[in-house]
Amino acid sequence: MTGASRPAARVELPRILGQIRPRPRWTELRLLTIAAVALVVGSLSLGAGLTGRLTLHAPQGLTIDLAALGVAHLAQVLAGRRSDEVLLPVMGLLGGISLLLMQRLPQELVTMELGETTVGLGDVQLLWLVLAVGVATTLGIVVRSDSWLRRYKYTWAAAGIALLLLTFVFGSDVAGQRLTLRIGPFAGQPSELLKVILVVFLAGYLSENRPLLIEQDTRLGPLRLPPLPYLAPMVAMWAIALGIVVVQRDLGAALLFFAVFLALVYAATGRLSLVVIGSILFFAGSALMANLFDHVRARVDIWLDPFADPLGTGYQVVQSLHAFARGGLLGTGLGEGLPMVGGRLPIPEVHTDFPLAALGEELGLVGVIAILGLFFVLIERGLRIGASAADDFRAILATGLALVVGVQAFIIAAGNLKVLPLTGVTLPFVSYGGSSLLVNAIVVGLLLALSDKGVEPPPPPTGVRRWRDRLRRRAS
Amino acid sequence: MDGLLLVVWVIRLAFLALLYLFLARVVRSLLRDLRAAAREPGASLGRLVVIESPAGDPELGRSFDLDVITTLGRDVNNAIVVEDPFASAEHAVLTYRGRSWYVEDLGSTNGTFVNGRAVAAVAPLGFGDEVAIGQVRLRLERARPT
Repeated sequence: MTGASRPAARVELPRILGQIRPRPRWTELRLLTIAAVALVVGSLSLGAGLTGRLTLHAPQGLTIDLAALGVAHLAQVLAGRRSDEVLLPVMGLLGGISLLLMQRLPQELVTMELGETTVGLGDVQLLWLVLAVGVATTLGIVVRSDSWLRRYKYTWAAAGIALLLLTFVFGSDVAGQRLTLRIGPFAGQPSELLKVILVVFLAGYLSENRPLLIEQDTRLGPLRLPPLPYLAPMVAMWAIALGIVVVQRDLGAALLFFAVFLALVYAATGRLSLVVIGSILFFAGSALMANLFDHVRARVDIWLDPFADPLGTGYQVVQSLHAFARGGLLGTGLGEGLPMVGGRLPIPEVHTDFPLAALGEELGLVGVIAILGLFFVLIERGLRIGASAADDFRAILATGLALVVGVQAFIIAAGNLKVLPLTGVTLPFVSYGGSSLLVNAIVVGLLLALSDKGVEPPPPPTGVRRWRDRLRRRAS
Repeated sequence: MDGLLLVVWVIRLAFLALLYLFLARVVRSLLRDLRAAAREPGASLGRLVVIESPAGDPELGRSFDLDVITTLGRDVNNAIVVEDPFASAEHAVLTYRGRSWYVEDLGSTNGTFVNGRAVAAVAPLGFGDEVAIGQVRLRLERARPT
């Protein structure tokens, strides 16, 4: 009786999401529409390139991907948060380009058993892409408070180091690198997740100790340094980065971690001296490594002169350079590059380490610049979110999250182009790989959540501190 | 056959053109966002938000834009007047030096606290930190974004 007689027979929504008031996101819708049209045209171009007829190539996959993006957009509209409207379309376009590329490469590169059927590279990547869009949107809608990241920074750091040690001990070696951790049926690359944990810890540590790091009370020749105890984490970071190189043989992750670490230290303190010291330490360490360890020296030798052994160690880099050269300015067109030469791939790791080379061949210089432009947009958004954040923790967190994706993209793009030694990191959102896609989706999701202009303020001091405060006040 | 080749070329170029159209639209929205931020008047150095005030003066939730030097205390000549029985007339001063905020206790009777820790003389202050004067708690925040 009571329920029926009330005129306001509104359904009480669960309060987990707070007050729900839909809010249109026109910019996002416009950008998503352009991205969708671009991807359909791309699929048409791919179909024409592969079959010689005007057909869409594998339209079901693209439809599912675009539908996922549409649902993500609708969910955000309904949630009504005032979050960033550029991140999702950029992520969607990069993911769509990745889907077109994976559909076009030989499907038997990666296969996965799903019940009775076996699905190939394109479909596996589609599955991960849809999951990634889901993860990013869910985080962007649900995460309202950052205290679970802020308060437990040492717990996060411990979890990260534990993950690293687990990989050191139990990881399985793939192609000479110990990166993959297998737990039951799940296999993943912990170093991908580690980069996010690193940023969370650094944001917590730096925002708490920023005033102390800015103070200068140690002098070392012309350099003025912060109090020595506060340099300890810096040395620890350096040791961890070198440890990753020695044990995991993962040059890319080490370079990424240390570069992001230095960038964040600079962002937090504005002190060039720390960055200079860090860089000197890193280059000294790298030089030592190159002399001590064969696998590091091999990478450097390939970088300096891949043509010394074009069919052996330098093979991938030489083929990558040839791919870029074949592409020229406008590219051969999607689907018209050379996937197979003499029954094998010119670049064996094209779907993980060299997607940019494949895109460079098929879309040319113009296409590669557009893709790099998309990464620049991601970085700009992250830095902007950081600059307008309410406090130091969020500012450093947003900056770090953006840099971790941007620096990774730069490292692998530079590796493909022989600007830096080649290191095995993925091109975010474009490379094949579940761990990589999901972790980068987490990054975008957190950035979405941080960009909300109405997130609840940070929590007051914890109970213990307030209690102590009160005691002191009574004493005085 | 030639017709098809032409169409394929047009599609290929259209794909690249659409990529750049997308980028151009994104950049336009980014520029609009940046200009809006630049137009924001009086980019202040930060603000203090009242998060606990038993006496109700200053009222809860009020935010004070900060100058390079901002004095706090019970005296009416302070930039931020804290009407609290436990606050001194000239209680504390907030200063912005270099690129960081500092809080200095001006010899108050009951002391100044940063995150529950008593300030000996001068203490550095980060955004998000809390200053307690008497029973009034204030939080230092960045200037309000657009």
